[in-house]
Amino acid sequence: MQRRPHSRYWALFVGPYGAYLLVFLVLPFVNVALLSVYLHSPTKIAVEEFTATNYAKLWEVYYATLFLRTLRLSLVVTVVCAVLGYPVAYFLARSTSRIMTLGLFLLIMPLLVSTVIRVFGWLVILGSEGLVNQGLRLLGAREGMRLLHTEGAVIIGLTQQTMPFMVLPIMAAIERISPSLEEAARNLGATWGQMFVRTILPLSMPGLVSGSLLVFSVSMSAFVTPALMGGRRERMVGQQIYEEVLTAYNWPGAASLTIVLSVLVLGLVSLALWATGRRARLEISR
Amino acid sequence: MTGAKVGLEVRGLTKRFSPQVTVGPLSFEVMEGEFFSLLGPSGCGKTTTLRCIAGFEEPSEGSILLGGQRLDGRPPHRRDVGLVFQTYALFPHLTVFDNIAFGLRLRKFSKAEIERRVSRMLELVDLPNLSERYPAQLSGGQQQRVAIARSLVLEPSLLLFDEPLSNLDLKLRVQMRYELRDLQKRLGKTAVYVTHDQTEALALSDRIGVLSQGRIEQIGTPSEIYEWPASAFVADFIGSSNLLKARVRSAGTGADTAMETEHGLVLTVPRVADLSGGTVTLLLRPERFQMATAGNGDTSAANRFTARVRDVTYLGEDLHLRVLASERQPLLVSIKNSKGTRAIVPGDAIDLAIDPEDIHVLLR
Repeated sequence: MQRRPHSRYWALFVGPYGAYLLVFLVLPFVNVALLSVYLHSPTKIAVEEFTATNYAKLWEVYYATLFLRTLRLSLVVTVVCAVLGYPVAYFLARSTSRIMTLGLFLLIMPLLVSTVIRVFGWLVILGSEGLVNQGLRLLGAREGMRLLHTEGAVIIGLTQQTMPFMVLPIMAAIERISPSLEEAARNLGATWGQMFVRTILPLSMPGLVSGSLLVFSVSMSAFVTPALMGGRRERMVGQQIYEEVLTAYNWPGAASLTIVLSVLVLGLVSLALWATGRRARLEISR
Repeated sequence: MTGAKVGLEVRGLTKRFSPQVTVGPLSFEVMEGEFFSLLGPSGCGKTTTLRCIAGFEEPSEGSILLGGQRLDGRPPHRRDVGLVFQTYALFPHLTVFDNIAFGLRLRKFSKAEIERRVSRMLELVDLPNLSERYPAQLSGGQQQRVAIARSLVLEPSLLLFDEPLSNLDLKLRVQMRYELRDLQKRLGKTAVYVTHDQTEALALSDRIGVLSQGRIEQIGTPSEIYEWPASAFVADFIGSSNLLKARVRSAGTGADTAMETEHGLVLTVPRVADLSGGTVTLLLRPERFQMATAGNGDTSAANRFTARVRDVTYLGEDLHLRVLASERQPLLVSIKNSKGTRAIVPGDAIDLAIDPEDIHVLLR
C-alpha cells in the first residue's frame, strides 16, 4: 500500500521501454499477423488479399509432423534439463557462497559465447571424425557412429544451451527454502528421500515451473542448433520459417508458421502459469 | 524429577570445527522427566551440543546415550528425539493439520488414528480451530505451539528446544514460558532446552548447565546457580551482580575474614578455606543491600558503610542506584520502591549494609 503514490507515475518508469517494445516488437508482430492472412505470390511475395490458405496448408502431414516434432524435441530437452539440472541447482543452493559463485560463473559462461560458436564446438566433438568417434576407434570400434545430424544431436545441443535457464530459477527457489525445514522433516522421521519429496520438491516447484517454461520456449523457437546439428529431413519449425523466408520467398507461409508457433508457446506457457498460480493462490488464501 | 533414572547421558562430547574452534569435551546427565537447560552466550557451544543430540552434527569424540542406547551414528530420522526450532521451521505449504500429521504419516498410521492424535494435540496446545490454516496465517505464538505439537504428537523420548521463545515479544514469551513448563511437567517428558536468556533458564529448568567457550562452567538447580555461582563468569552471566576484586586484609580469628576491595572498601566475608592466591572476586547481588536508615538501631551489622548516590533508575517495582561506597568503590544497588526510597536523588549520602552471608567469595 505504501507504493500507491508511485503508481501515478508508472508511465514514467515503464513508458520508454514500453514505447520501444511497441515500435520494435508489437507493430512488426501485427505486420506478421497481417502477412499471414495475405495471399502468397511467387513474384510479389505477398498480395494484399485476405485468405486462409496459409493456415489451411499447415494441416498437411508435413507441417503437422513438423510441429509435433518441434513439440516433442522441446519436451524431451525440458525433461532432460530438469533431470540433470535439478541436482546441480540443489547442490549450488546449499553450497558455501564461494562455491556458489564459481558454479554460477561456470553455468553462465557458455551464455557469453555465441550459439554458432558453441554449435561448432559440438561439431568438433560429435562429427564423423570428431572426438567421440576417434575415442570409439581407439577402443576398437570398426566404424564410427553417426552422431551428428540426428535428433539426438539436437537434444544434446539444446540441453547444453538451455541448461542455465533451468538451473538458475530452481536454485533461486531452493535458496529461499530454509535448511531448518529439511532438518525439521528429518527430525520428524523422514529419510533424506522422503524429506526431499515432501518438502524441497513441492516448495521449489515454482522454480522448476519457471525453469521448464524458459527451456521449453527457447527450445521451441530454436533455429541455429537444429539447422547445424540436426538432420536435413527432421527439421524444427524455426528452420522451416527460415527456409520459407529466404529460400522459398513465401513470406505469408512463414508468417502463418510464426503465428501458430507463437500462439502455441504462449498458450502452453499461460496454461502452465495459470495452473501453478492457481495452486499457489489456493495455498495462501484458504 | 520423577525418578532417579537417567534419561539422556552425554559423555565427553567433543566437536572440532577447526583447531581454534572446539566445543567440549562436555559431560552431563539428564534424568527422566527432567527439564534441563543449556545456558550460555552465543558461540558457547550450546546449539552445537543440541545438534549433536539431534543427529545434525557428527561429534568428533564422545558418546550420547538415550535411555541407555547409543545415539551417535544413528541417522537423524531414527533417533526418537523431537526438536523445536528457533525459527519454528513449519512447512509453509502444509496446513496446521498436515504439519502436525507429518511425522504420523511417515509412520504409516491409519487415517482415523492420525485424525484422532492430531485433534488431541491441537486441544493440548489450545489451537483447536486453526487446523486448516497455513503457517503464514498464524501469529508467532501460534506457530510456536504448532511446532511444539508437531514434535509432541510423535511422543519422543526426548524433547529438544533450540531457543524456541526468542522470536516472540516479551509478554508472549513470559506466557509461553509458563505453558511450556506446564506442558512438559504434565507429559513428564525429558527436555533439553537451549537458551541465552538467563531469566528463561531460571524460570523453566529443574537444572541448568552454564556453558562458556565450549565448556560447562557449572551444573546446578536455578537457586544453586544463582546463590552459589562457581565462577565469576557464572555470577556475571546470571542476574546482575557487583563483582569486586579484593584481597585479604586480616585473616581474622573467628568465623569471618576482612577483605579490602581494589577500590578501598573493607568488607567482612564468611571465612574461606583456601585463600592461598590472595586475590579473589567478591560477588554482591544488588538486591541484597539494605538501607540502614538513622532510625535503624542495628549497629551490629558488620558491613555498614556510607555511599554517595550517583544516579537513580526508576523501574517501577524497584529502584536501581549507582553509588560510590567509601568515595571510590562503584556499586549497583537495587532497592524496593517505597515512600522512603522514592525521595533519594543523585548526590544524597545513604547508609547501606550487607550481611556477610550475602557476600560470595569466588576463587575463579
